[in-house]
Amino acid sequence: MVGLLKRYRELILVAVLLVVPLGFYFAHAKHPSERSRLDRVILTVTGPIEKGLSFVITGALEAFQGYVALRHAHERAFELQKELMRLELDRSELERVKEENERLRRLLGFAQAAPERRLLGARVIGVRLDPKGLQLLTLDRGERDGIAPMMPVVVGQGVVGRVHTTTPTTADVLVLSDRNSSIAVRIERSRARANVRGTGAPDSCRLEYALRSDDMNDGDLLVTAGTDGVFPRGLPVGKIEDLKKGGQGLYQSAQVKPAVDVTKLEEVLVLLEVERPEEAPRTAAAPGAGGDKP
Amino acid sequence: MRPFVAFLLALLLAALQASLLHFCGGGAVSLALPLTIVVYLGLRAGNVDGAVGSALVGYVIDLMAGGPKGLMTSLAVVLFLSSRLTGAALSVQGKTGFAVLCGVGTFLYGLVALLFTRAVSPPESQPSLALLGRLFVEALVTGALSPLLMLLLRRLDALWEREDPSLLLLR
Repeated sequence: MVGLLKRYRELILVAVLLVVPLGFYFAHAKHPSERSRLDRVILTVTGPIEKGLSFVITGALEAFQGYVALRHAHERAFELQKELMRLELDRSELERVKEENERLRRLLGFAQAAPERRLLGARVIGVRLDPKGLQLLTLDRGERDGIAPMMPVVVGQGVVGRVHTTTPTTADVLVLSDRNSSIAVRIERSRARANVRGTGAPDSCRLEYALRSDDMNDGDLLVTAGTDGVFPRGLPVGKIEDLKKGGQGLYQSAQVKPAVDVTKLEEVLVLLEVERPEEAPRTAAAPGAGGDKP
Repeated sequence: MRPFVAFLLALLLAALQASLLHFCGGGAVSLALPLTIVVYLGLRAGNVDGAVGSALVGYVIDLMAGGPKGLMTSLAVVLFLSSRLTGAALSVQGKTGFAVLCGVGTFLYGLVALLFTRAVSPPESQPSLALLGRLFVEALVTGALSPLLMLLLRRLDALWEREDPSLLLLR
């Protein structure tokens, strides 16, 4: 027996490496993903790496831009042109600062609109919009800053998603376009209720549980209903596109263009504490089970 | 390549690709750089080292994907075995062959992961087959970048496989 095991040990090892993880996956596939202590340690290690890489890449880009500008100025060899170049750089820097200012002003406007909300600003340091897995953004703030799973994440234009997992220094945000994300919404114009679920592609979601009899049209703005226990009411989620009312059936279907382009985010706000509507359930929705069904 | 080195490199590559994607397109396309290590292990490493290293790389992919763990680990071992078989049957040691193998491997890996996820997810959260387009682009970009990573992996390999100086003295 031992001889047999020794003879086929490589084959047995490969078979174990194939079968055990697959068994583990099937055992846990129907449940929300949980992270063990080891997983958390490894992710805590990668957080600073991502922060460091983000810092290095930003520095390298700035240095490269500086180098190109300098070389360009030398090539021309005219003081006036050099001055012009410097002014150009200054202008582009100002443009960048202005754009950042605009973004921050919108975030501030959002914060001032509801002073009872407790908000935390965070920068996006990593993007994992992987078609094979979950659609995640990594933030540079984590448990130490008061972030916990299920907290809503927003920008001035609307909903980004909710916190999925945290480490002491970083947090992963499940974006609204993930297929496990489901947000209870209302049509802003008619107040009809529905759900917005992600499709896995960053630029599209779909409308679910929209009653056929409800009043909705292409271009209608969808806002959070505040009844899913995660998002406060009234935040823009997206606009209805390609509405289809079938000849029969209980529901109508549509695509939803998200209000926020998750591929262009740099700063976000995490809602640490939000006002809850009276009808909000006390328990937070589990991944893949969020949202209400009218 | 030692399995632990493959694991550390996979962690570094996963962090690097998350940062890179943030600066280049913000996630409009995705990448699967750690899979390049698995393909490399399939072509170069021994059975035990390669299988364990691939499982560790798969574990990193599982962690970064955020879903239930196990599927990516298992598929990484399958990709390792497939690369090994392909390497035995065809000449894929050059940069072009390696890039093609990485591209095809990445696409098939993503496709099988997508089909498995569809099979076990509740109907409302099943991934749509429309994501195949994204998988294809991911495979193209990963395949295109893989020759660069191959150079890095070869250098790392050379560090471990350097001849023991004491052996030279014996000659």
